[in-house]
Amino acid sequence: MYAGRCYGYFYRLTGDRDLSDELLSELFIRLVEKIGSYKGGAFESWLFKIASNIFHDHLRGKQRRRKLLDARRAELELEPDLNESRLSDDGEERLDKLQVQLGRLDADTRELIMLRFYSELSFKEIAELRSEPLGTALSKLHRGLKKLRELMEG
Amino acid sequence: MTAMRDPAHDNLAELLRQFMDESPARATQEDLSAVEQMVESYPAPVPAVRTLSTIKTLMVATAHHRRRRIRIFHSAMAAAAAIIVTVLIAQHGRSPAHRPSVTFASILPAAAWESDNPAADDPDFVYFTSEIRQIEAQMRDLETGDTEIRGKKTLDELELELLAMETEFWKG
Repeated sequence: MYAGRCYGYFYRLTGDRDLSDELLSELFIRLVEKIGSYKGGAFESWLFKIASNIFHDHLRGKQRRRKLLDARRAELELEPDLNESRLSDDGEERLDKLQVQLGRLDADTRELIMLRFYSELSFKEIAELRSEPLGTALSKLHRGLKKLRELMEG
Repeated sequence: MTAMRDPAHDNLAELLRQFMDESPARATQEDLSAVEQMVESYPAPVPAVRTLSTIKTLMVATAHHRRRRIRIFHSAMAAAAAIIVTVLIAQHGRSPAHRPSVTFASILPAAAWESDNPAADDPDFVYFTSEIRQIEAQMRDLETGDTEIRGKKTLDELELELLAMETEFWKG
């Protein structure tokens, strides 16, 4: 039950099945390790807080790797690899339309929308989970949904 | 899965109106509903059975490892507690010669201990010494038969004092 929702959340954020497998494994291992810190309350909120942290850890690691790679390329005076992004023109064939258009949103807005969809938490809970004011979360959601709808219908 | 559904504890229309004007609040609700349908029409893939099986194995191994860590931690704590108790018992059971010296607070002023002649240096001692000397003198008088004169004199003085007190008392 939770595995499917968490996998969907990771997949919609990364567009990569293998990576989603890894993140899902990481999530359930962390759940076992951190089960002692669960103080009751909404389990989904706790679960998706950890899922969100794992995704952000992954993003930070990816940024570090990209910086290292760019530095290495600069050393070797190579051209940037345009096929690196998983959402490149070549990759789009493998992905559904929703995934492609989600890739055009910024990572933060994409996560907010997917968190709402897969966690099924209330906006108040989502704002708390993301440690941001409710008004800010709703404002980002408003802009993100509008843009995604335009992209999907355009 | 019911996508983008509004959980029972979230009155979305009311919530949006707290932060937005009427028009954007309504637009957001419409967008939310439209995106909900889109997301439902593009279901995300589900994890492979093999992936789930691997995850279960990893979870069991992690749980086992966690329990082992907790056991080790508890054993270490128990060992530490046993060592502390042993050390405390060993210290408590030492012979008096090995016990640490205990310092007591003095009830007499330090000056009295440091003085070569406390009877002269301490005012209290001086007072008591004079009292003792007086008693000694009285004892000597008793021995030499001088009591009558001294005693009579003392009695006369007491009578006078009593009279004076009585007079003062009745005067109010």
